[in-house]
Amino acid sequence: MEFLKSGIKTVLGGTEPGQQPSAAETVEKLVDRVYSSTLLEDRRDACRALKALSRKYRIEVGAQGMPPLVQVLQNDGQDAEIIGYALDTLCNIVTSEEFDEEADNPTVSVNVGEQFTEMFIKTPENVTLVMGYLDEYDFRVRRAAIQLITSLIANKTRELQDLVLVSPMGVSKLMDLLTDSREVIRNDVLLLLIELTKGNSNIQKIVAFENAFDRLFDIVREEGCSDGGIVVEDCLILLLNLLKNNSSNQQFFKEGSYIQKLAPMFVLGQDVEEAGWSPQKVSNFHCLLQVVRALVTPSNQQQVVTACQRVMQKSQLLHALCEILMSSGVPADILTETINAVAEVIRGERDNQDELSRVMAPSNPPRPAIVVLLMSMINEKQLLALRCAVLYCFECFLYRNSEGQRAVVQTLLPSSASDVSSLSTGQLLCTGLFSADALANWFSAVALMHSLVENVALKEELLRVLLATPGGHRPITLLEQCTNLMQQERYRLQSKVGLLMLLSLWLAHCPGAVKALLETQGTMAYLTAQLCSNEHDEREFLVQGMCAFLMGLCIQFNDNSLPQQRREDISQLIIKRIGQETFCNKLAEVSRHEAYSRACKQAQIRAKSAGELLLDYEYCKLYKGLEALIAKLVSGFDVDGIELTELTLSSEASALVSQYKGIIRGMDGQIQALQQTTKELEQENTDLKEKLSEEQSLRAQISDQNTLLKAQLGATNGQASNHTPNDQTVSPAQPPLPAAAVPAASEEDLNAARYQANMYFAENIRLTKELETLRQQLVTEKQRSDATEAALKATQKDQEDLLELLADQEAKLTRHEDNILLRGEEETQTKSSGSSECPSSGGDAAIELSASR
Amino acid sequence: MSYAYLFKYIIIGDTGVGKSCLLLQFTDKRFQPVHDLTIGVEFGARMITIDGKQIKLQIWDTAGQEAFRSITRSYYRGAAGALLVYDITRRETFNHLTTWLEDARQHSNSNMVIMLIGNKSDLDSRREVKKEEGEAFAREHGLVFMETSARTAANVEEAFINTAKEIYEKIQEGVFDINNEANGIKIGQQHSPTNPSLPGSGGAAGAANSGCC
Repeated sequence: MEFLKSGIKTVLGGTEPGQQPSAAETVEKLVDRVYSSTLLEDRRDACRALKALSRKYRIEVGAQGMPPLVQVLQNDGQDAEIIGYALDTLCNIVTSEEFDEEADNPTVSVNVGEQFTEMFIKTPENVTLVMGYLDEYDFRVRRAAIQLITSLIANKTRELQDLVLVSPMGVSKLMDLLTDSREVIRNDVLLLLIELTKGNSNIQKIVAFENAFDRLFDIVREEGCSDGGIVVEDCLILLLNLLKNNSSNQQFFKEGSYIQKLAPMFVLGQDVEEAGWSPQKVSNFHCLLQVVRALVTPSNQQQVVTACQRVMQKSQLLHALCEILMSSGVPADILTETINAVAEVIRGERDNQDELSRVMAPSNPPRPAIVVLLMSMINEKQLLALRCAVLYCFECFLYRNSEGQRAVVQTLLPSSASDVSSLSTGQLLCTGLFSADALANWFSAVALMHSLVENVALKEELLRVLLATPGGHRPITLLEQCTNLMQQERYRLQSKVGLLMLLSLWLAHCPGAVKALLETQGTMAYLTAQLCSNEHDEREFLVQGMCAFLMGLCIQFNDNSLPQQRREDISQLIIKRIGQETFCNKLAEVSRHEAYSRACKQAQIRAKSAGELLLDYEYCKLYKGLEALIAKLVSGFDVDGIELTELTLSSEASALVSQYKGIIRGMDGQIQALQQTTKELEQENTDLKEKLSEEQSLRAQISDQNTLLKAQLGATNGQASNHTPNDQTVSPAQPPLPAAAVPAASEEDLNAARYQANMYFAENIRLTKELETLRQQLVTEKQRSDATEAALKATQKDQEDLLELLADQEAKLTRHEDNILLRGEEETQTKSSGSSECPSSGGDAAIELSASR
Repeated sequence: MSYAYLFKYIIIGDTGVGKSCLLLQFTDKRFQPVHDLTIGVEFGARMITIDGKQIKLQIWDTAGQEAFRSITRSYYRGAAGALLVYDITRRETFNHLTTWLEDARQHSNSNMVIMLIGNKSDLDSRREVKKEEGEAFAREHGLVFMETSARTAANVEEAFINTAKEIYEKIQEGVFDINNEANGIKIGQQHSPTNPSLPGSGGAAGAANSGCC
């Protein structure tokens, strides 16, 4: 083939002798040889040549060489050398690095490497092919494959990450390479993993799962921790990649006790102070601090942050950081980053905050570390980044730390002023607030503001702070001094913004402070003037907006205790002097300012230049919460006065309203409960009435029975008395007499009971509640009627006895009659001296007698 | 917290069978009724005691959705134990067990202990898979079986602890190579290096940690 080609060239005249073939032609020739040579040596030589050309003629090699190189990778796997060349060539083509050799080649554009990467990965199998060569132990192959993959990832991160994720055990395979005994390989894999783990939490998790933390700590330790070389830095950067914004890995890091492994690395040996800090050590240390911050930064999940903060305190990591703060010779950027790290380690965690407050600086006399830090903050000569870090640290110290806040305010109160000899935090902040350095004013105002966040009691306390004035005038309050300063023309914008933030936070939710501000001279006039002014400077807009906000707070939290400065009065001022529209427009200026969006982003204070420092995170939070409320409040006014919608109420009023609402709600509940009870009672009442009527009918039945019995008794009595006279001769002492007396007595009792029952019945109708008594009465009555019944039975028995007796008597009577007849016959027999002559006449007489009966 | 051993677990199974709930119940002792789709993999940890020894369990709860399968496969190799979970109220989650098991066996180390879990045992009225079927499947494939309820916490502790016991026994028998961390087992600093079952070199490396820097 080659022979033919050269033959053609000679025939056609081709290249003139002496003239060099162009790069493209050479490459074409080489590519051709790679494609067509049957001998491995030829292909290998061609690949070597391509590799050599690829640095200078990247475009030519890349444009034509990719397919043959891939073909080599597919077919020549058994020869490590040619594979090494092929991979190296590909790596040169796709790298984003610019080679010295191509510096004067105008055709090489900046992103040529990226374009070739795109071409290469268009066929995903290519990547799998290269990944496969990671298994090859040969140094040339493995290293070249690692480097090629690294370059590919660097150019097309997202795509490569996806490809690696779907390739079977892709990430695990890469992690295995980290244990390669050849340091060069290991170090290159580190670089690869750094690229691979960027912003992909799934890969980060797999890498961590594959024991990355152990591996990395092992390497860091082998390499000498923070004193080690760039490999240590690489390890730490990878560690940082794995932890940043990955809560699962953060938790794993904490659970795996890796914080405890991190802690000793922050302990500075004696030698550091002597030997100083090498640039590499500074880099390593910077990364170490970043790792700490990645675990506890406020944007992380709160529970992870708290858990890590606690471990950091227990494992002495915080202690070591504080030691660094107070040691000498620490480079400024390390010191700054350490302060930032301490800030986030203590933020919102009381034990950690307390630990910082106990740290003493080795100065003479010894001062608390916080005081020393604040001294740097208000020191004009300190670096801006350091001052920002101190403010951030102080804010984090006060965050959710009412004791710490109290301690700051306490140092300003008259009672504690006796301890003049030592500098206090409060004094330092006042010094900063009134210094000539605008930045110090701003820092101090914000710091003081943070000692009031969410602490109304301290806002009231701070109102008591008095300042001595030069020239022996009467002392003035801190608030008054702040308003005075704000109104001074020479006071710079940054300072004004600081004061406005301090005052706003002070007034919010604190009617006492609102009242104090309204009592100061000229403040309202100043605010009105600011709002009416027509400055068209962007920075002026910000101040105007903040003034509007402050004024809004004066309405919102006004308790109407000043007769001329009530809510209505201020609202009238706005309507008549400023106009509601203008007010709301100006109010909205704050959130439109770029400083606002910058400050809202994170709690940490970041600024490239001093001028960028305008708004603070906490102020923005307050503004965000109240802006809509104030805008609504102000636009809700009408000319005649305040329109009281619920939204326009001050916090006290709305508290009151909600209190009343609560009361009303409670009463409503009570009413419902009472209605329920009434219903129940009514039900009970009906039940009782029913029972009563039942009882009444029962009673009527009983009394009927009673009457019946009485009638029966009367009848019996009548019978008894009918025949008694007949008996008189026979048995005058017979018992019918007591039998007649019993019914008479029971009748009397019954009458009484009936009367009583009637009475109770009448009472029952009036007072159903006394039903119980009646029922009892009824029971007794029943008992009584039972007794009566018993008596009646006795009477009946007596009656029966009497009847029996009567029968007896009758029998006796018959006998007597018989006797009498007998005697009569005897008499007649004795008279006629023959008794058998007239028995029939005697018999007739007996019949007559019996008939007469 | 020092431990004698550290075991890595993974939880696998179809989406919605209650993998995350099992983990939450085990680590936090609470139940989350709302199904919150797991993205990729989530981590949880807890300490248990077996045979008087402190054992730290590190558990990776994987996403059940097919889309995450390639990601979750990366976790098989480094795990010492796996909880393979199905839902007793959904037959198809039981039917997919074979696929899961094949996948696990293919990518994991051969000694990985797999515990079959039939979850949601509190929903007996909606049961579609009988307990006997689970038992049979487990017997057939050499797995340990248990029915659990992440809602009532029934058997949840047991599931995790029994798996750990099984791994622990395998270590005692010398089946696991405990010096190879890729097996998902780590020896803690608490472990006595005189233990005869230990070759004693690599595993005790953790003990020398303190002297760095």
